[in-house]
Order: sequence, then structure tokens, then C-alpha cells
Amino acid sequence: MKRFCFFLFAAIFSLSVGARAAQDFSAAFDAANKFYDQGKFSEAAAAYEKLAQSGAVSAALYFNLGNACYKSGASGRALAAYRQAENLAPRDPDLRANLQFVRNQVSGPTLPPHRWQRWFNRLTLNEWTALAALAFWLWLLLLIVLQWRPAWRPSLRGFVFSSGLATLALGVCLATDFLSLRASRPAVVVAHDAVVRSGPLEESPTAFKLQDGAEVSVLDEKDQWLQVTAGGQRVGWIRRDQAQLLPPS
Amino acid sequence: MRNSRLKLKNDGCSRPGWARLAACFSLALLAVAGRLSAASFTATLDRDTIQVGESATLSLRLEGGTATGTPGLPAIPNLNVAYAGPMHVDMNINGQRSSIDTYTFSVTPTQPGEYAIPALRANVDGKILTSQPLQLKAVKASAAAEGGEQLAFLRLIVPKSEAFVGEVIEVQAQLYLREGVANAQQVFQWFENLGSGAFKAEGFSLLKTAQSQQLQRTQVGNGIYVFATLSASLSPVKTGPLTIDSVNATLPLQLPATNRRRDAFDPFGMFAQYEQRNTAIAAEARTLIAQPLPRENAPADFTGAVGNYSLTVTAGPTNVAVGDPVTVKIQISGRGSLDALTLPAQTAWQNFKAYPPTAKVETTDPLGLQGSKTFEEVVTPATADLKALPPVSFSFFDPEQKTYRTLTQPALTLVVRPSSPVAQPVVAGSTRAAPDSQPQTQDIIYIKQHPGAVAPLGPPLVGQPWFLAVQGAPVLALLASVVWRRRSESLANNPRLRRQRQVAQTVRAGLDDLRKFAGEKNSDKFFATLFRLLQEQLGERLDLPATAITEAVVEEHLQPRGVPEPTTAAVRELFQACNLARYAPIKSSQELAAFIPKVTDALRQLQEIPA
Repeated sequence: MKRFCFFLFAAIFSLSVGARAAQDFSAAFDAANKFYDQGKFSEAAAAYEKLAQSGAVSAALYFNLGNACYKSGASGRALAAYRQAENLAPRDPDLRANLQFVRNQVSGPTLPPHRWQRWFNRLTLNEWTALAALAFWLWLLLLIVLQWRPAWRPSLRGFVFSSGLATLALGVCLATDFLSLRASRPAVVVAHDAVVRSGPLEESPTAFKLQDGAEVSVLDEKDQWLQVTAGGQRVGWIRRDQAQLLPPS
Repeated sequence: MRNSRLKLKNDGCSRPGWARLAACFSLALLAVAGRLSAASFTATLDRDTIQVGESATLSLRLEGGTATGTPGLPAIPNLNVAYAGPMHVDMNINGQRSSIDTYTFSVTPTQPGEYAIPALRANVDGKILTSQPLQLKAVKASAAAEGGEQLAFLRLIVPKSEAFVGEVIEVQAQLYLREGVANAQQVFQWFENLGSGAFKAEGFSLLKTAQSQQLQRTQVGNGIYVFATLSASLSPVKTGPLTIDSVNATLPLQLPATNRRRDAFDPFGMFAQYEQRNTAIAAEARTLIAQPLPRENAPADFTGAVGNYSLTVTAGPTNVAVGDPVTVKIQISGRGSLDALTLPAQTAWQNFKAYPPTAKVETTDPLGLQGSKTFEEVVTPATADLKALPPVSFSFFDPEQKTYRTLTQPALTLVVRPSSPVAQPVVAGSTRAAPDSQPQTQDIIYIKQHPGAVAPLGPPLVGQPWFLAVQGAPVLALLASVVWRRRSESLANNPRLRRQRQVAQTVRAGLDDLRKFAGEKNSDKFFATLFRLLQEQLGERLDLPATAITEAVVEEHLQPRGVPEPTTAAVRELFQACNLARYAPIKSSQELAAFIPKVTDALRQLQEIPA
């Protein structure tokens, strides 16, 4: 009985703490929205940024952060925020529209996903994981039922085969999505006229320049420098503070 | 002089016979000894004709003595001289010691012309030695290239001399290296890595660069060259004469050494030796006249597109209710700056609510000049009176025809039904209109008012150990089910095993009953249970019906099977106790309880009898 009371108390305490945290998040979110409504885009961006660094995030938070950054003239940071929102809500039409809009505004290389990547990006990695796990559990559950009720085998055969096939297909999709996300290291240039040098030194000659909002792939890191490639043709080193690395989803 | 000496030596050695060979060898030794006995000071250039900006190596060779200080060169106009360093070699030939000091200078002409390097002087052991004067010829880069004399040169290819602002032109930079350059691969790699850095184009917007997939081979003048090509797409952004230039660089080219000396560490010439020549490259700059787009006859919807394009418009679905989304695909194909193409505002679409279009560019060439740009725009009809999607028009300036052109696609028939009162269309748009009430196509969609699902930052599910561990649960459940099923099948197919397990269960329950009956002093039930347990256990072991088991079984079945005497004795004693209890029940609980260990031992011994 004492143990039950302890668990009950712990559950209620956790729920109340979680509810309080959600209230705080919502209040801070509304405060940042007010800044935006008043046209104080830089303040709004800072408030969204602070909220994102608190440890809890949402697609709407990154979406609004992207809007505030774009309105305050930081197209690169806006793109980075939209890309992070895309990891959480890939099918949000508002987000896709804004991402495309800002991409059209910036000049420079972009990292448009391949057709197969676009297909995979319709779901988040967690959604692929949940789907694959669901199919896996369903398949094994049917196999377990067949062990207990062998007489049901003829009627369940089709379901077992279908769920096994779904498990295999979803597992392949999950693995492909996971590996492609691990392999890609995108970054967005967040400085105007960022100089890309041929080596990771300030003295290295200038290889080319990138505009704010240019999307690049990171090949290597060294101290305060990132080796990036723009469109797969030009390779150079850019200072770390001039590009924002996008975390894998 | 070296050639003539070589010829003389060959003449002498051509005479047959060992005596003549020995004489020839002796003469050669004498000649070497004679050379070593007196100091000499010579000056040589590795080449006598070079390109302006290229470097030649001047070597001052002092044999048989030691100079006081480093021999120097006087200042020569338009000739840069840099001291590269000394080299000292000690020699011991037949016990006679000598030394060679070589002082190396790098000379670089800055202007074409003939340069006279005067006789140089060296103070050797108090004596003044004088070298012979030398001549160096410097030629222009282009002249050297045309004659095939140059080791490397750069060409800039600009296809036209006039262009309009916004027109995209393709220029090429070609780096030529003469065959035989040892480090050609590294030089071409450097060139390819230049990318846009290979071009200097003030007043142009550099759109994209691309490199040729493979090296090509060609003849220029008398020389065979290998060349790589870098292409770039440029677009003038201002009017007037604009200059397109290329990168200026000095390439350290490595060539196989032509007059290599015998090396004590490599007497057989197994290791390649190279000499480095610094070669300056710079292409001749080209000038392009950038003309402004004509102001007259410019269409109202012209948005700056320059090139040659075609227009295709499709839409679907075309049978919709008011507020339903219709996806309009506007594809502009052709040649020009596709990335910069923008969709003009369609003024005739005021009866439609339009959402920001998405654009996708597909190119068919590395520079992205040829291809198509597809705008995908979602529109929703505002009224049921609409009968068609209005015509879509697109205007551009054709630089070949030097005129504006407007492409118009006819209106697409549309069937619009009145909307149902409950079903609201869900399309790619914001759920709240922007307060600044700017047109949707001109701005981003407004911020979201609710934070939505909030999740802590962390690794994805597939990277969390607890999630992976949970996936093991159904696997374990399946394994347990398989084990259970096999065990069930095994029991179903083995009646003796099944009976064995049933009897074991009966015995366990019966022993509990015995303890209970002993406590209750219920002699009848105690011994009845005991008798039944003996029957069950013996019947299972002997594969006989339990009801057929009596005391006689001991003699009939147990003893013939070789069951140990203590076991048979214990069983017999228990049977007899059961028979006796029918006539003289035991009333004491202790006495009944005293039987239980005996029963337990006897049953355990019976269970060990082989079946």
C-alpha cells in the first residue's frame, strides 16, 4: 500500500511539473509572438531563440523563429530554423511555403533534396521508427497467436505475410532514412558575403564567397573552420561562426 | 664543349683491343686529373629563352678551389635575381681530393627582350677567376604559346563581344600543359579547384561554374599539350565595356632532368630526377560590351527574364467546389538564367485566392543554362461564377532577336460548384491571415499562434537504448510461445511422459493430503491416499493400470526387474501397513506422520526405477 501511494504521488508530481513546464513554455511563446505582432522582429527572434535553447522545442517554435529571423533580415538563420522545423513537421504546408519563399529570396547554392529524399522526408525519422515498430510488433503478435492457436493458421496466413512484408519494407525505409540523415551534414551560411577560403587559415587565399542563406554540405571540421562544398563543385573552408550546422533529425 | 669531348672519347674507344682500351682509360684518367689540378669558374643557364615572368636557373660552378664570399650578380634592368643557395661537393679520385661549389640564382625577366649577363668574378685562394658572359632571351607569353614553346599557358574563350544586361553567356578558361610535365595531375587538380576563382569578371554576376569531365590533348604550334577546361556562366549586371580576365598564377612545373649528373646514391638512375621551372600563366583579358535592355516596347509584365523560353501551363483538378484547391503548374523551358526566373503577378486572377508558389529548377547541362523551371501554385476559386482559369502570360527579352516576346497560354476551362456549408478546404496556407495584409505571394505566411506539440530535444527514438530494448519484448514472447508449443506437442505425442508428469503432480498433491490427514488423525483417508499413491507411482513405472497394482506386483514385476531389495522391502511394508490399517486403524497423529518420510523415500526410489 505504501509503495502504491509512493508511485501515485510520484506520478501526480511528474504530471504537475510537466503541466507547469508546458504552461511556462506556452507563456514564453505567446510573449515572443507579441513581439512579432508589434513588429519587433529582432526581439521576437531572440525570444524564440532563448526558448529553443531551453531544451523543449516544437515545429511551431522553429517556424516562428524562422519568420522572425527572415523579417529581421537574417535569411540564413531563417532557413536554418525552417529546416529544423521541417525535421519535426515535414508535411506542414505553411512551413514548406515559407521555406520555399525564403529559398527563392536568397542567392547562392541550395541543397534541394533528391526525389527519393523528398519521399522519405514526408515522414520524420521518429514517424518511420514508430511505423516500423508497429508493423514489427503486429507481425510478432500474429506469430505468437499462431503458436497458441495453430488452428487459426489458414485464416491468419495472409495477415502474417502482409505484416511481415510491411515490417521488411518499413525497416528498409527506416534504415535508409536513418543512414541518409547520418551521412548528410548540411549547414546554412548565416553571414553576408561569407568568405570561403582554400584552407582553414585566415591567411589562406579566398576560394569563393557565399551569400547569407546559401546551403552547403559540411565535409570536415577543423578548429574553428568547416570544410564545405557548394553544389558539389566548389570546396573551401568557412569560419564556423559564419555557418550554422543543422542537427540531424 | 662537352659534346666535342664526348665525341673525341668515343673516337678513341672505338679502336679494338685490350691495349687500346687500357690506353684510352689512362688518357681519360689523365684528363680528369688535369682538370682537377687547376681551379675553374663557369656560369650556365638552364635555358636561354624563357617567357616573361618565368624563371631560369643560373648556376655558378667553382671547381678545385674555395671562393672567398659568394659570387654576386650586378643589377640588370628588368631582370629580377634571387639567390637560391650554395651546394658543396667533396670528391676523392685516386687519392686526390677536390671540391665543387655551385651557387644557384633564379633570374626572372619582367619585360621581353635580350638580357646580357656579364662575366662574373670569383676570388679563389687569392686568384680572380672570371666566368664567360651569358645571354638570356625573354619573350611574350602569347608568342611563346603560339610557337608551342611555352610549358604552360591559359586561354580565355568568350563566345561573343556584345551582350545584353541579364543575358547569360558561357565563358571558358583552358589551362594548357605541355606533355611531359611530371606534376601535371596536381596542376590540373589545382586548376579545377579554382572554380569561380579562375575568372575575374568585374560587372558580371557569376552564376555557376563547371569543369570538363576529362582532359583533352591537342597540338599548339610545334608542341603537344594537354588541357583542362573550366566553364562559367556569367551575366552582365551593368552596361558599358566590361573586362573578363582570368587568374594570374605562377606554376611550379616539374620536368624530367635533361642533363642529370651521376648520383653516388643512385648510380643506375633508378630514381627519377626532376627540375622545377616556375611558369607564369595569365590569359589575355577579353572585353565585352554590355548593352542595356531597350525601354521601348517592354511588356508591362516583364520581370527581367532574358533568354529564349517556352511556356506550358497545366491545372488540376478542373472540377471543384468553391474554396477547393486547384494546383496550377506553370513550366518555363528554354535557355537562360533559370534560377532567376520569377513568375509575374497574374492580374487576371483576382477571383482566385493564390498561395505562395513553389518553384523547381531542372537543368540539362552542367552550367544550368538549359532546362526548365516549374512553378507550382495552389489557387482556390472564390466564387462559383468562374468558368475558366484566366490565361497565363510570361514576357522575356530575346537577345538573339533583340526584341521582347510575350508567351500566353489560353484560359483553361474550369467547373466550379458552390461549396458545401460544412466542408472547408485545407490547402497549403496559414490558418490565420497576416495582419500586415500584404498579398500572400509577396510575403511569408504568418507565425503560428499555438506552440503545438512540445518535445524535449534529444536523440531520435531509434537511437535511444530503452526503445531498442523494448523491441526485444515481442521477440522474447515469441520465443517463449515457441518453447511452450513444442513442449505441448511433445507431451501430446508421448503418453508415457504425460502420465509421468501427471503422476508426479498427483504424488506432490497426495503427500500434502497425507500431512493433512495425519494432522486430522484420519487413518482411513490417510491409508487410502497412501495406497492410491503407491498404485499410481507403480502403475506409471511399470506401465500398468493403477487399479491393477497390488502387493503382489512386488514379486511379479519389481524383483524380476532387479529393483534393489531395500526398495521392494519398503514398498511391501507400506502395502502391508495399508492392509493392516483397514482392520486396526491408527489413532495417533504422530504415528501417522511417522509414515510420511517412509512414503516419500519409497516413492522417490520408485521414481528412479527405469521405465
